[in-house]
Amino acid sequence: MLSVSPNTLRAWERRFGYPRPQRSAGRHRLYTHGEVSALRDALQQGLSISSAVSRAREALSTDTHTLVGALAAFELDRADAAMESALALRSVERSVEEVLLPSLDELAARHGTDSAPWAFAARWADGWLRRAQRLAPPPVRPLAILVGDATRNDLDPDSLGLRAFELFCTRAGARAMTLPVAGVAGLAEVVESLAPDAIVIAGSHLADDDVARWAYGVRAAAGALPVALFRRVPHDRQVHTMGARMLCEEPFAAHRQLLALVDEPAGSGHAEATVLPMPGFEEIERRREVGS
Amino acid sequence: MRLRAVRSVDYDDRGLEVVSFCGHCGLAPAATAQATKSRVCGRCGLGLVLRAASDVAPAREEPFLVVDATLSVCAVSARAEALLEIDETAAVNKHVADFLVPADANAPSAANLLALLVEVASGASGPRTAVVRPRQEFGVRFRARVGACGPPQAALLVLTS
Repeated sequence: MLSVSPNTLRAWERRFGYPRPQRSAGRHRLYTHGEVSALRDALQQGLSISSAVSRAREALSTDTHTLVGALAAFELDRADAAMESALALRSVERSVEEVLLPSLDELAARHGTDSAPWAFAARWADGWLRRAQRLAPPPVRPLAILVGDATRNDLDPDSLGLRAFELFCTRAGARAMTLPVAGVAGLAEVVESLAPDAIVIAGSHLADDDVARWAYGVRAAAGALPVALFRRVPHDRQVHTMGARMLCEEPFAAHRQLLALVDEPAGSGHAEATVLPMPGFEEIERRREVGS
Repeated sequence: MRLRAVRSVDYDDRGLEVVSFCGHCGLAPAATAQATKSRVCGRCGLGLVLRAASDVAPAREEPFLVVDATLSVCAVSARAEALLEIDETAAVNKHVADFLVPADANAPSAANLLALLVEVASGASGPRTAVVRPRQEFGVRFRARVGACGPPQAALLVLTS
């Protein structure tokens, strides 16, 4: 399409940060058709690669402006159409990360997360992400992930990040199930049925004690599993800690980190490298003993 | 009779040969099959091939900038990046006056350089010369050749000693 060598494309990636490829499982660069075709059009009318890249970036960012405009005007059909047009140029993952989530961030900054326009936009985005997850291909990896939802509710900005993270895990072929951290009754049956390979605790709303109680329930049913935190800042820094990997804030990078965490050989020491303060199981047991 | 390959030569409206050069390295494009299909320089891969009259086009290692009719910087050659200590990726779409200002004591106003660039970039004027200096530096002056280049049409500002 561009009539340039792979070396030139790599040189552009280093110098201009564009086009920005995703990686295949074998670490090969995967370019989106939209980015490359936007650059091809810009190159035909440009005076330099820099100005063409700038123009191509502008062309791609129009989807974000359209989505923000549609949600700000409470037009659901136009919002759906904006995502359709984003999907014509990008993968689902990049449409979510480059169009949907930035648009919601902009609306949150504009109106605040306690406003009616935010509630409207967040509900639409939540519905869109759930629809996309229902349309995802069935699981192909022998990998199950249990997500503990510690967000406030579906209007919590972290909740949309969690939906996106769950969608990416599902699209990567894993089985992902999200349960509220607040509910521990009957947890053992669900955990035994899912047989998770990893636990993710997402969101910062619920207290560390609630999270640790839920994690204890999961561990009692499934045994020791890798634990990762997504968009969670521990509340209580004075209690004992357990090894938990802090995932990146961005859902796509976070899902890649989680898959790597599950795939990494036991005892490699990477999980211990990012130990974060949160109440450990030992702390819960100690408190129970003190209480009894 | 043996046929020989000849290169096609274009002339501008003044009858001068129009030559091609890379907007980054400033060299003439390599004559490869791939180079004929693409505007991207086959030598450095970091610039687009531009065309200008031979009396305006940069000689080897002459630094230059390309400015459009809105006075936005559109390209900065590798030599100009080093000379002016600017990065092309940061300079594009910025006003040319952020980097170069007139340094001709005889020029009546700073607007002259900008007016000249607009005239050349819009095709209303032929090649001219000017004296310029980097915006933040005094005591350094460059003679500049200003002429049309493209496509699309723009002003080429070649800095000479």
